[in-house]
Amino acid sequence: MKVLCVAEKPSISKAVAGHLSGGGFQTHNTRNQYIKNYSFNFDFGQSWGRCDVNMTCVTGHLTQAEFTSEFRNWSFPPPEALFDAPIVTNVVDDKKAIAQNIAEQARWAQLLVIWTDCDREGEHIGNEIVEAAHKGNANIPVKRAKFSNIERAHVISAAKRLVNLDEKQVSAVAARIELDLRIGYAFTRFITNNLRPLRGPMENLVISYGSCQFPTLGFVVDRYFRVKNFVPETFWGIKVTHLREGKTVNFNWARHRLFDRMAVVILYEKCLAAKKAKVTKVQKKPTKKFKPLPLTTVELQKAATALLRMSGQQAMNLAEGLYNKGFISYPRTETDRFDRGMNLKALVEKQTPDSRWGNYARGLCDGGFQQPREGKHDDKAHPPIHPITYAAPTVLSHDEGRIYEYVVRRFLACCSEDAKGEASDVELQYGDELFSAHGVIVSERNYLEVFIYEKWDNTIELPKFTVGEQFEPTEAMMTDGKTSPPSYLTEADLIALMDANGIGTDATMAEHIQKIQDREYVATVDRGGQPAGDPEQNDDEPAPASRGRGRGRGGRGGGRGRGGSGTTTGRRGIKLFVPTQLGVALILGFDRMNFETSLGKPFLRKEMELKMKAICDGHTTKDVVLRESIAQYRHVYMESQQKLHVLKSVSLAPCDERHHP
Amino acid sequence: MDLASQLHSSILSQSLPPPSQTFVTSLIATRNPPPPLASLVATAKSRLLACDLSSSPSLDSASLAVFPAGVENTHLREQSLQRDTHVQVLDVENLSLSRWEQIEELESVEKGERTRGREIIRVTADQDGSGEPQQRATPSNATHRLVLQDRSGKKVYGLELRRVPQIGVGKTKIGEKLILKAGTRVARGSVMLTPETCQVLGGKVEAWHRTWTETRIARLKEAIGGDQRQ
Repeated sequence: MKVLCVAEKPSISKAVAGHLSGGGFQTHNTRNQYIKNYSFNFDFGQSWGRCDVNMTCVTGHLTQAEFTSEFRNWSFPPPEALFDAPIVTNVVDDKKAIAQNIAEQARWAQLLVIWTDCDREGEHIGNEIVEAAHKGNANIPVKRAKFSNIERAHVISAAKRLVNLDEKQVSAVAARIELDLRIGYAFTRFITNNLRPLRGPMENLVISYGSCQFPTLGFVVDRYFRVKNFVPETFWGIKVTHLREGKTVNFNWARHRLFDRMAVVILYEKCLAAKKAKVTKVQKKPTKKFKPLPLTTVELQKAATALLRMSGQQAMNLAEGLYNKGFISYPRTETDRFDRGMNLKALVEKQTPDSRWGNYARGLCDGGFQQPREGKHDDKAHPPIHPITYAAPTVLSHDEGRIYEYVVRRFLACCSEDAKGEASDVELQYGDELFSAHGVIVSERNYLEVFIYEKWDNTIELPKFTVGEQFEPTEAMMTDGKTSPPSYLTEADLIALMDANGIGTDATMAEHIQKIQDREYVATVDRGGQPAGDPEQNDDEPAPASRGRGRGRGGRGGGRGRGGSGTTTGRRGIKLFVPTQLGVALILGFDRMNFETSLGKPFLRKEMELKMKAICDGHTTKDVVLRESIAQYRHVYMESQQKLHVLKSVSLAPCDERHHP
Repeated sequence: MDLASQLHSSILSQSLPPPSQTFVTSLIATRNPPPPLASLVATAKSRLLACDLSSSPSLDSASLAVFPAGVENTHLREQSLQRDTHVQVLDVENLSLSRWEQIEELESVEKGERTRGREIIRVTADQDGSGEPQQRATPSNATHRLVLQDRSGKKVYGLELRRVPQIGVGKTKIGEKLILKAGTRVARGSVMLTPETCQVLGGKVEAWHRTWTETRIARLKEAIGGDQRQ
């Protein structure tokens, strides 16, 4: 029996062929220089047994949805016609050779096995492969391998336990593609057609709309105004300090601070009048600092932007590379709990050769191992991100090495014990006011030894106090201070906001953030105020070989040079996002045109995202979702058309006038 | 005891502001035969708590205590009230929050949004039902300042020396009545409020409360404008 296997990208195809054949496969060239066909023998078990296998791959999405040629013109038919214009889905020109290769290979095969990544997009790409195969063999049966990393045993077990392609996920992605196309094109043309004639900076721009980009921009604009409009206020407080056993103990006021001077004067005088403070509570108790939860995509991106000074997109590309090489598990996951059945100890064991954390890993193997904490999320497709095999620093580029290090340290931390310490608390009553002092002594650092990204330090050890004792504090002072504005958003903040508001999926967030920068809707400044000079951004990354969603998936052409990413690692400070004049105008314009359902707010997009999920869960269908969502966006479109003057006037107004919405 | 005296003493036993004779008699005379005592008392209570304490003819001025002379003197560190004193609330502020924080929250509620952690939630009027924006729960270390007015019309600050759970922005109504018990301390012109000395009777003056709510943002903004000029 002959079987055709198709993976989503060359690296996976090669790795899977290697594992299934035990290393003995033959390589054949195809008309696409990056795509090879590998042939070998494998026993799939079940009803198939030993088969002749041909393994090949695609490079991400094969097809693209587009409008027919009558709709090429930007002004006629008018953009709103795109809400129900016919859509055709075709194989992209430079993918034709790939599709043809699949059709030819399918002709001789009695079974097609899909090896695309196991997520929604992967399911849809799988379906595109099925359609390409049908061109050569209309009746070929289809199965899918379910896997989340390319470690040998995992791959072989996936090959022996084939499942079916999930049609529901395919429909969800198809709905998403169609909505993005219609809504994106209609609004992009509408905005561009109407703002270009205003001249000025917008004269030559295409002002593109994306249903995720706009709410993302909305968060940036919202924070910008919160910073701009902020009014500082003075507050007052009371601070009590006491010198004992050579230590100065600071007691914090239970009211923290009050925004009225007279009120604080009155309360402060009551303290002074009382002269003596009385100890009302002394407590010592064990305390813990919890080890981190298993790593999800969103957390990885937040950590990379906050700790490793990378953009979320860079981090995802690097993680993708590490996955393709088999070093880490699939990096797109929402799951923050490990399956109880997984042999985590064996994975820890693999890290023992490292000079940095090898000893620590050894310690875990020798009895220190603890089952990781379990978070609440499970996407039922992939485990949390974790290392699969050991990668010595020499086989990784500098930045790959830093991401790998984070993934490994986080994983080892997950398998460790919480850090332990002793907390002491002393509470005072002074006049009518209550004060407290808090101290922590760390006794066992445990996971903190390996998880260098977190700190937990000793505060001072509190001297001895006894309940009921009375003493005159060394000093009691009235203090004052001023409130300060919130800071502009960091990428980690932005990711957290998108996550909380359902904008994009964990896998696409970084891409949207990059988009709004590329479109010049937002700019970044280094914390401290200097524009973050970042001219040669990612220039060593080969452009992904097209996939519509451009999220750095597949299409890397197989042999990506190692160590090439060294040029992107210039030391950068934390970047802060501020909107450009255009970005501000777009959000204010839509906020004012569509009070109820502004495109700058997350609500509509969140609803759409939930509907995608509902399709996957079988609660609704693609057709229903398309009908509902298109109707909603069409409504916004019509409303925007009626109130177009509002958008135009904000776009023309000098920047200062917009600061007070 | 006749019905009027019964009614009068029932009202007093609930610590309500002492009613005038006219109020009691006219209440009884509204219907003939008069309704049972319990319902008369309930009617009296709701009217007395809704009246303007400083001017209403329904109250008995002679038996209503007022603030002692010099109560507002900010140079006096410590004095105390000699008698139980009925007052009404004219303003309530949370001194623990910056005005700007409160303005931001009120404005986002006006826009129909509310935040839950990082999540932005759309609030529609019918979801809320009450028509009045709900406030976040007030933390136990919050400190409020009220403006209190007595029968004579004199206004003084009331400062929460210790948390009085019934007081809060969104909870306390304008025109609400309190009793400040004899012995209540006053420091530098502010009455010290504690759960032991401050008894919240409830009620509100509808029109005052509405105006207060509608103009709250404007007042907060004016207050920070003043802060900036200092």
